[in-house]
Amino acid sequence: MPSEHRLHPSSILFALAGSLKAFALPALLLVMTSGRSSRAPEMGPPGFGPARWMNRWMPGDFEIANWQFWLLLFLIPATIAAIMRYFSFRLRYEGTELVIRSGIFFRNERHVPYTRIQNLDAVRNVVHRLLGVTEVRVETGGGETPEARISVLHETVFEEMRRRIFEGRAAVTGTNAATIEESAPATPAPESHTLLYLPLRELFLHGVLENRGMLLVAAGYGVLWEAGLFQRVWDRVANGWYGPGLVRDTIRRIATGEPLPWGQIAVLLVGIVGLLVLVRVLSMIYSALRLYEFRLSRIGEDLRTEYGLLTRVTATIPLRRVQTVTIRQAPLQRLVKRQSVRVETAGSEGAPEDGPKRPREWLAPIVRASAVPTLVREVLPGFDLALLDWQPLHPRAFRRAVKPALLLGAVIALPSILVFGWRAIPLLPIALAWMTLATWQHVRRMRWAVTDDAIAFRSGWLWQHLTVAPVVKIQTVECTETPFDRRTMMARVRIDTAGGRELAHGVAIPYLARETAHALYARLSTQAAHTTFRW
Amino acid sequence: MEQTAVDTIADGIERQLDPRWIPCQRLVALIPTFIVAALSFVFMLTFWAGSGILLLGVLLLPVWVVLMAAFTWQLQRWPAIAYRFSTYRIDDAGIQIRRGVYWRTVTSVPRSRVQHTDVSQGPIERRFGLGTLVIYTAGTAHSKVSLSGLDYDVARRIRTHLLPDAQSDAV
Repeated sequence: MPSEHRLHPSSILFALAGSLKAFALPALLLVMTSGRSSRAPEMGPPGFGPARWMNRWMPGDFEIANWQFWLLLFLIPATIAAIMRYFSFRLRYEGTELVIRSGIFFRNERHVPYTRIQNLDAVRNVVHRLLGVTEVRVETGGGETPEARISVLHETVFEEMRRRIFEGRAAVTGTNAATIEESAPATPAPESHTLLYLPLRELFLHGVLENRGMLLVAAGYGVLWEAGLFQRVWDRVANGWYGPGLVRDTIRRIATGEPLPWGQIAVLLVGIVGLLVLVRVLSMIYSALRLYEFRLSRIGEDLRTEYGLLTRVTATIPLRRVQTVTIRQAPLQRLVKRQSVRVETAGSEGAPEDGPKRPREWLAPIVRASAVPTLVREVLPGFDLALLDWQPLHPRAFRRAVKPALLLGAVIALPSILVFGWRAIPLLPIALAWMTLATWQHVRRMRWAVTDDAIAFRSGWLWQHLTVAPVVKIQTVECTETPFDRRTMMARVRIDTAGGRELAHGVAIPYLARETAHALYARLSTQAAHTTFRW
Repeated sequence: MEQTAVDTIADGIERQLDPRWIPCQRLVALIPTFIVAALSFVFMLTFWAGSGILLLGVLLLPVWVVLMAAFTWQLQRWPAIAYRFSTYRIDDAGIQIRRGVYWRTVTSVPRSRVQHTDVSQGPIERRFGLGTLVIYTAGTAHSKVSLSGLDYDVARRIRTHLLPDAQSDAV
């Protein structure tokens, strides 16, 4: 069935926009900020060589310096490349694989088997939606970048692609292939039911809890700085708004140790509180824009998340590609009984050049704590959080863990005493007490549980995390004894899975009794060996 | 013939590395020894010349000799100690590697999780007939598990044993 598809013609525009964004935007800002400076009228067009010619050619407010001209010149190869890509790109579906052909001089034909496809994501921003097109990312296991990044396809082409991939996968795995193939032409999506839908109220709550407003503030700061407006805005804030130089005056008084008048303190406090509220409100708006109409649904054997007002993201995660499930609860979330759920897949996790929005969001950015077990049961079929038999650490784990914590507290507190003198001495007991409390809570709350087909580990005092890793997804098992562990007859067990990000919460259980650790290690490696890992 | 060789490897017995690993590692350790000795000697000479005190050299030289001797001795005896704590075990389920003198670690890689394997041999290893087995998994932190100090042929036999079966590759 040689039905070939091409890119949408607008893909040339998008490719150009991409390369413009990459290096011409700062240049444009510079053109606007530096090119406007008035010069003596008797001078001819500025620059020399081609820039001089360009400036005579397009007179006006903007003069192009030499380097700016060359910068524009660099866009020409990008344009040619985009046009060539548009004309050479072909997408084809063969029996069990997706075939992508590209290149004019260096022809490249990439075969991606349907079964190897980890995720099929669609990203549509405002322009994409106006033109009725979508950017598609096809990810297979391994590798940092998506296997294929197709920008841009017509929506109907993407829908067909999605349908074919699911069909093809079903046909290969043999699970009710016949029924799907029968129903596929009529209804592209098999039976679908919503696992989680976030109304606006929840999104606002999410914004308050997450407080991403500072991100916006930082971004705004960056833009102002870039445009050279910052100095002007700052001058106005410092001098103009609250009488003559309120901020400057306060800083001067604090620096010289003069007492502040109450009125000034009140104005400052109102200002600070107002800023905090503003940041939270920004965060709410950001959250609502980014996650607008968030819907997590299960379609056959896949999870699909859809969200976003300006940029609409559709991400599809095959259920069996889920490597680990992590449930997080931040202190504020605990107050309102909400949690977040994230899954790790083996595909690439937000490579830097993936654009402003990371393709993979939380599976559930905010969800009622009571609904989490149901959600986890959907993601990991047959796994029930409520039935877990949680095991504590070694009884003397606190004594073992508190020593390095106290040492760390002392190392942090002692230099401040050296710097600030005897007045900082109370800092030492406070630091030590805090470390003791934190270690006590941390060790007390750490629990692990193992079942026939999964291992779970939870930890954390203020920020609590719980990670579940199915045994099928365990790659390696490791049991380590440090010299300190050996003195106290302890050991630690750690498992490695695909797609676990660095620094993310994983299954690494410290302070186990040595026999327990060895038994757990042996159990997990035997269990893992008796299962077959499937991507 | 190949089958019996594989059977003798995958017997679930805890095995030591090849004893030739010790002289090999000693030879490898000479490289950092020379670098450290040369750098510290130059540093000492400049310090001595800069200080302008003639007697300082008479004091510093024996200290340097003693420190270097201790350093060399430590690096030369370390492979023998590490050797005692490095073992591996292979059975039908997979491979288990045990290593570390102070930080002791046992790593288990199930056979079904092996993506692919390398057997590599550096110039010094080649002199001793040794090889390094590198096992790749789909994991993140331990996507690469390597085991050095194997007889080159043994390493290749382990590789043959660990290679995924044809039917388990069908996903």
